[in-house]
Amino acid sequence: MNPVLNIFILFLGGAILTYFAGRINKVLQSLLFLASVLVPAFLFYTQLSIGQSATFSVDGITLNWSLNYFGWLFSLIVLGLGAMAAIYAVSYMKGKQRLGTFYFNFILSIMSMTGILLSQDLISFFIFWEIMTWSSYLMTIYNGNKVQSIGIKYFVFSAIGAYAMLMAIVMVHSITGSFLIKDLINAYPTMQLGMQIWIPVLLLTGFAVKAAMMPLHVWAPGAYSNSPMAYTSVFSGALSKMGVYGMTIVFVTLINKIPQGIWFREVIAWMGGITAVIGTLWAIKQDDAKKLLAYSSVAQLGYIITGIAIGTELALLAGLFLAVMHALFKGTLFMVVGAVEKQTGTTNFTEVSGLIRKMPWTFFAALLSIIALAGIPPLGGFVGKWMLYESLITSNHYLLVIVIFFSSTAAFLYCYKFLFGFFLGQEEKEWSHVKEAPAAMVVPMVILSLLMFVLGTFPGILLSPINNGLQALGYTDSYKNLWETSVILNGWGNHVVLQPILYYIIAIFLFFVVFLTLKGYKNTRYVTTKDISSSGEIPKEDENLTFSENFYQPFFRAVEPVMRRQIDKFYKNLGEGLEALFEFMRRIYTGNGQTYAIYVIAFVVIMLLFGNYLLK
Amino acid sequence: MESVLYNILGAVATFLLAFVVGMIYGGLNRKITARVQNRKGPPFYQNFIDAMKLASKRSAIHHGIMQHFGPAFIMVSSVMSLMVVPVLTHNQWFPNLNFHGDLIFLLYIMVFGPLGMALGAGQTGNPNSAIGVTRGLSLMTGFEIPWVMALVALMIQYHTTSIVDLMNVQIQSGTWLMFSSPFAFIAAVMAMLGMFRYSPFDIVGAPAELASGPISENGGKYLFVMMSAGSVFAFVKLTLYVDLFMGGADNLVILLVKTFVLYLIPVLYSLTTVRYRTEHAIRWFWGWPSFFGLLAILQAVFFK
Repeated sequence: MNPVLNIFILFLGGAILTYFAGRINKVLQSLLFLASVLVPAFLFYTQLSIGQSATFSVDGITLNWSLNYFGWLFSLIVLGLGAMAAIYAVSYMKGKQRLGTFYFNFILSIMSMTGILLSQDLISFFIFWEIMTWSSYLMTIYNGNKVQSIGIKYFVFSAIGAYAMLMAIVMVHSITGSFLIKDLINAYPTMQLGMQIWIPVLLLTGFAVKAAMMPLHVWAPGAYSNSPMAYTSVFSGALSKMGVYGMTIVFVTLINKIPQGIWFREVIAWMGGITAVIGTLWAIKQDDAKKLLAYSSVAQLGYIITGIAIGTELALLAGLFLAVMHALFKGTLFMVVGAVEKQTGTTNFTEVSGLIRKMPWTFFAALLSIIALAGIPPLGGFVGKWMLYESLITSNHYLLVIVIFFSSTAAFLYCYKFLFGFFLGQEEKEWSHVKEAPAAMVVPMVILSLLMFVLGTFPGILLSPINNGLQALGYTDSYKNLWETSVILNGWGNHVVLQPILYYIIAIFLFFVVFLTLKGYKNTRYVTTKDISSSGEIPKEDENLTFSENFYQPFFRAVEPVMRRQIDKFYKNLGEGLEALFEFMRRIYTGNGQTYAIYVIAFVVIMLLFGNYLLK
Repeated sequence: MESVLYNILGAVATFLLAFVVGMIYGGLNRKITARVQNRKGPPFYQNFIDAMKLASKRSAIHHGIMQHFGPAFIMVSSVMSLMVVPVLTHNQWFPNLNFHGDLIFLLYIMVFGPLGMALGAGQTGNPNSAIGVTRGLSLMTGFEIPWVMALVALMIQYHTTSIVDLMNVQIQSGTWLMFSSPFAFIAAVMAMLGMFRYSPFDIVGAPAELASGPISENGGKYLFVMMSAGSVFAFVKLTLYVDLFMGGADNLVILLVKTFVLYLIPVLYSLTTVRYRTEHAIRWFWGWPSFFGLLAILQAVFFK
């Protein structure tokens, strides 16, 4: 049988089996769950080759699936992160209620994302897109709290996106008479201008919702923070990348083919930049780790969108590199939050602090991910950031680069807040019982964070698949295999050579670690964080020295005017306005037969009196 | 093998130079401040005495592993930025990594140290440390904006992001960039006031307010390493400004003269004003300095 179909059947069968296995045995269920994520992922990389295709006919409509380099690139995110998150999830979800639902939706999410990457026609693309939306929606309300405010919001925005996409699909079909993406791409340059504008706008709306682009991002913080953390790492890491996947295809194969595309590119690039700034500012304000990371995801996706919208080769490489990096570090960070949540029961910075000595490995993973997120060399985030800046400067986006840079500098604030809030600061007695998370949770985090380290020095490992993917979309490679060395280059020929930099950093670091840390560590003894010189006084045992409320108060005094406006409030007002409108409509359509009879009589009377004038 | 040895020796020589110059400048700063305030002040080599005293001390206690790593992090950052910035124009003495990194790499490696030190400071549990760190990071969002604007202006005017190329541009044209891109220079110098964290931007250490902020729980060798990292970093910043705006330096004497003149700007400015609040400092940088940065970009776009 065709391996593509095999993979789908394994996913689907695995999901159903896992769901019902919970009635028999919890351990069996977990094992089945792992198998039904890992086995298809394994088959994907061993059995499928580029160009492998499958078709499936229902009722005269043929669904086409095929693997190309671009889909393969994103499959690294979906299946790689998915596999890690699955291992993590088994341990994370231990002892929780309704495991079957969780596992079922988890597998379905992974399957639908794989399906999106394989889809070569708009119908199957849309079907998988909807499965993805549904399964993630069910995860969002899995905890059962805030279903109204968060679940509905996510669903309304997803529905807006889906309808926009559906409309575009219908329009495409009416013009080309085919659902194949290939036909759309071929027919696009010869379409009328109106269609050339409407189709990308509608498709981009659909993708922008999932990629949480401003102003369609308001669902993201709530939905990310309300799902179980094991799923959120996939939700933010991989699922949001489906929006990026679609956007890249729309930009490269459609918008860049028409001369008016420049308007799209500028507008979307600026929206990405503004998304980055707003997301960052709100992330700094959050006291809850989940919310902080959720807003930070919105901001990071802003960079990615900007890179993709700019559309030069370097910018696309930067955007896609950042997309993979974001999957790695944000996946890890959500796992870290999950680990802290599992061990302490809270994710609030104002409640928990000083965990570094209790959860050292979790801290290690968090530290590496934060360094990557902040874009500091020698970790992978730097490579993506560097390419993004260089591509913005070399393509004449001078103000945009300042905006992005501001957001990136401000990101240090929430990076530090995350590390400080959980792991550093005063060690409180309340948390002295906390232990390191189970190995099954720690190992995926550490593996992912080490990957970031490798990619920071040898970005070629990732850049060559990205390059292949872009070529599959029709880009010509202007760098000619330079990516195989560990050098990153911009359009003007300036470069950063990463390997010697890494060696220098390691050498200097080791030198000081050996001569300072090791010696110091042996010769000194540990004292508690209460044993400090607080303005020359020795603090008492019960004195509260924790600093976590109003962490960045001075910063917010400085940026206060920007924070006053909120897009969320706008939507709320819009919603209230609509509700008022519906309320008014309800007064007209009362459901009472007598009222309707009066309307009919009134209508007849009006027609009799004024009909002469009206119908003339 | 020979080239490796050569590189290591060059790196050590550069480091020693930066350390000595940075320390002396720090001492001169104390002397100048004292003279302006009509005090006698310590001798210019006082910083060496302090450093030696600190280095010879032994610590008895620690608060955890990150506290040990903090000084190492900040040293990595200082030395790495030193490696990337060309010390002299014809650079056979100090080869280092000049051709391996560019301005944007430099921008990022420069913030690595403060963040690493912030982690070390965080683990001590001293609230003053954490408050100092939050102020420092907030301040950074302030002065990085005009600084990046100035750099972007230079990059787009000369179509390069490499420091070495920008130096060559000045050698070829014979004009310093501070004259051909005056607005960028003004913005960059204003940003430098924040980078040095002297008054009125001494909100991180904030004497008499935060009890020296992030470094407050460190003593002995740790404080020594932080102090030397700070001195090296001061030298890096001044050399970078000389390279970018004042045509670089052919030999050490010219380098010292140029850097010292530049160093007088933050030193003397610090004597004229008192400390700002953090939010005022941030807004100060988003005001006139950013305006000049914007002018610099406009100049670079319209008068290429």
